[in-house]
Amino acid sequence: MTSDYKRFALTRAGQAVVVVLLAYVLTFLVISVLPGDAITNTLRDPQHGLSEEDIQRIVAFYGLDQPVIVQLLLSLGRFLTGELGFSLQSNLPVSQIVGDALPSTLTLATSALLIAIVFAVAIAYGAQYLPGKWAAIVRSIPSFFLSVPNFVIGLVLIEFFAFRLHSFTTTDPNSPVATLFAAVTLAIPVSAPLAEVLIASLDHESRQEYALVARSRGITEAKLFAKHLVKPSALPSVAMVALIVGELLGGSVITETIFGRDGIGTVVQKAVTGEDQPVLQAVVSLSAVVFVAVNLVADLASPLLDPRVKLREKVGA
Amino acid sequence: MTLNTKDRNVSADLLTVHGLSIAYGPTAVVHDVSFSVAKGESLALIGESGSGKSTIAKAILRLLPHGEATATGRVALNGQDVLALPEKHFRPLRGRELGFIPQDPASALNPVRTIGAQAHEAAALLGETDPTVRRAKILDVLEQVGLPDPARVYDSYPHQLSGGMLQRVLIALTVLPRPALIVADEPTSALDVTVQKLILDMLTELRRELDISLLLITHDLAIAAERADSLVVLKDGSVQESGPSLEVFASPATEYARSLQADVPALHPDRYRNQRITLAPAHDGGSRTPASSAPDAGLQIDVRGVTKRFSAGGKDVLACDGVSFSVERGRTHALVGESGSGKTTAVRLLLGLEQPDGGDITVAGQSTSGRSRADVREIRRHLQLVYQNPFTSLDPTWRVGRIVREPLDQFGVGTKAERAQRVREALEAVGLPSEVASRRPAHLSGGQRQRVAIARALVVRPDVVVLDEPTSALDVSVQAGILELLSKLQRDLGLTYLFVSHDLALVRQVADTVSVLRRGQVVEDGPVEEIFHRPQHPYTRALLEAIPLATAPTEEQTSKQLAKATA
Repeated sequence: MTSDYKRFALTRAGQAVVVVLLAYVLTFLVISVLPGDAITNTLRDPQHGLSEEDIQRIVAFYGLDQPVIVQLLLSLGRFLTGELGFSLQSNLPVSQIVGDALPSTLTLATSALLIAIVFAVAIAYGAQYLPGKWAAIVRSIPSFFLSVPNFVIGLVLIEFFAFRLHSFTTTDPNSPVATLFAAVTLAIPVSAPLAEVLIASLDHESRQEYALVARSRGITEAKLFAKHLVKPSALPSVAMVALIVGELLGGSVITETIFGRDGIGTVVQKAVTGEDQPVLQAVVSLSAVVFVAVNLVADLASPLLDPRVKLREKVGA
Repeated sequence: MTLNTKDRNVSADLLTVHGLSIAYGPTAVVHDVSFSVAKGESLALIGESGSGKSTIAKAILRLLPHGEATATGRVALNGQDVLALPEKHFRPLRGRELGFIPQDPASALNPVRTIGAQAHEAAALLGETDPTVRRAKILDVLEQVGLPDPARVYDSYPHQLSGGMLQRVLIALTVLPRPALIVADEPTSALDVTVQKLILDMLTELRRELDISLLLITHDLAIAAERADSLVVLKDGSVQESGPSLEVFASPATEYARSLQADVPALHPDRYRNQRITLAPAHDGGSRTPASSAPDAGLQIDVRGVTKRFSAGGKDVLACDGVSFSVERGRTHALVGESGSGKTTAVRLLLGLEQPDGGDITVAGQSTSGRSRADVREIRRHLQLVYQNPFTSLDPTWRVGRIVREPLDQFGVGTKAERAQRVREALEAVGLPSEVASRRPAHLSGGQRQRVAIARALVVRPDVVVLDEPTSALDVSVQAGILELLSKLQRDLGLTYLFVSHDLALVRQVADTVSVLRRGQVVEDGPVEEIFHRPQHPYTRALLEAIPLATAPTEEQTSKQLAKATA
């Protein structure tokens, strides 16, 4: 597009980087003000069986004998060069731990997102075009979805499909079918707010005069939906999808536990119980990066989708 | 009943509506309406908001909301009962036989698709499948409706075009499939007067050329009489009166049609004048000055050479370019111009909502430049504004009492009891019952809301009230009530009005002096009568010509038309 758009995109990307750095700093500070010295507590745990030399080496590496601000700068500098440190529990590089767990979680979250979008569009379409009574029932689905906790959905699905129908076995949680059910579990509560936004904007758009005028030209309802209503109704949903990614990251912890999958959720769970500061720091930062990146994409997409969006940077500059 | 007034050989009526009744749930909104439109003819449905005219139009187009509205009776298009057809058989008639031009062009096109993309839907109705042929036809019709650069319009999004251009686009898309009948729902009420005239002229010409019948929905009797062969006057969903336009217009048979006719500003330029003439001696004598306390009875507002520049998108726009005007105490001065003429900016400068780049504004003999903010605020307390649209200018969550009291709270006037008393007086002055104070705006009609807005302006006892198109969002008959009220208040309280409007017919009724603005400059000013009878500037003449029925049809014309109708 234009140079205005380039400037807009660069500004937004710059802001995104700042947000990620702030998230990193905040996480670091929160972990370091927690009561007790997490790192030294873990290191001195006799179960670890670390020698005094090892401990000294680790203390020097993280600068644990120095003020918090020095530790922060040290840590931040390493983060910027992609160096995430070592797990205090397993002594493995954090990048390796996260890297091993990431594909499983990404598969789960991505399929959950797609399923959630399909659910939301189907619900919104049904709410708009099914005959009276059915539309009312479909309209109540989002609040139902929202009110059932995702572990209940997961347990019900496992009970029914795994134990009764034998659609999949819980012993192989990474099989495609098992992944599908885990993704559905994760998608259901997440699809609810998306469906609500879609229903509301479809209601709004279908009452606009342009919809009436298009109908007066003899366009069919299906064409009206596909050609006229979907795009303007989707605009508010794009921002919603970006927010949903945050929920997916949180929800995956529970879902992975229920379905016995190894993923970021399991890594977080172990890191929290074991006070594994470098791992926690890495996972939180990773979540921040994913969340910020998805929102950046949504931001950059909106001027391309909606010609009315004015690039505010243009006036400000 | 055939309302065909031309001695043309017409075999049958194109559209016949017989015993049409429409109800929203249990509430009936249209009762037993019948009329017919012959081929090539035009008929106007006229009435105020709530008269059911748009509902009838939507019933004919079968665009009433599903399941919410039920229509009974017979609507026949070429002898085929439209209401009885299943949607599958009706859809082929949409666009091809029955065209629709909506009220607000700005919301009638999908905002996120280009004009071209939407035009293809209309072109598809011709049965043409080749996209390049379709495009050529679209460009042709866009040119036909007078759009200067069809290719650019084709690639534009709706928000990139003006209201007048958008309405041309919509008319183009409607006539493209050559329908037999066009239903136009207030096609020009959202447009400037001069644009309105151009659009209506263009529509009339196209209709003649392509032999298209027209069902025109309007609240404006003058437009209806000027543009339609026959009229159907509606009130509360029932037909009051119908017949050939000139007949109904010249000698309305029912009370309601008579009052509608009396409320058309263009026909009764002196309606409020008698009330104002009585003011002149009082003004000269200076004996009656309840509100104005300054000793000199001269100029209340004096704006001298005011300039204001805005920069938008790197371009500088002179919104006001050396604008000067003055208003005598107790008089009404009108600022006239179309959108973008700078009249709104002039008002904002006067009210202190913007600072001028140059020039001087004097209010009651005190210059506002070079004073502290507090001083200016005190001067401006004597200047109050009544906004254009009472549907958006009142906070929907506040009760009327609080809305009217707000300026008193802002300026910290009096005790609580005194304020309550003032609110009661203000409501009484605008002719509203005191129980209105406990209601919210949603429970009031448009006219009542505008009265609340006037009460809010009056409550601080100002000397000057700025009226920014105070009746443009209201029906003609409601407008008459508000104008009546304003002239009574001016007489009783000695108020000075600055009346901002694009409607010269209205201005002629209410104002003493007028400034015509165009592109930020005053092109002509002087007493209203002089401007009306001897306009100097071509722009003023264009504005005057845009008034529908600027000259009422003479008796001779009417009788000729009657003779034709009975022949």
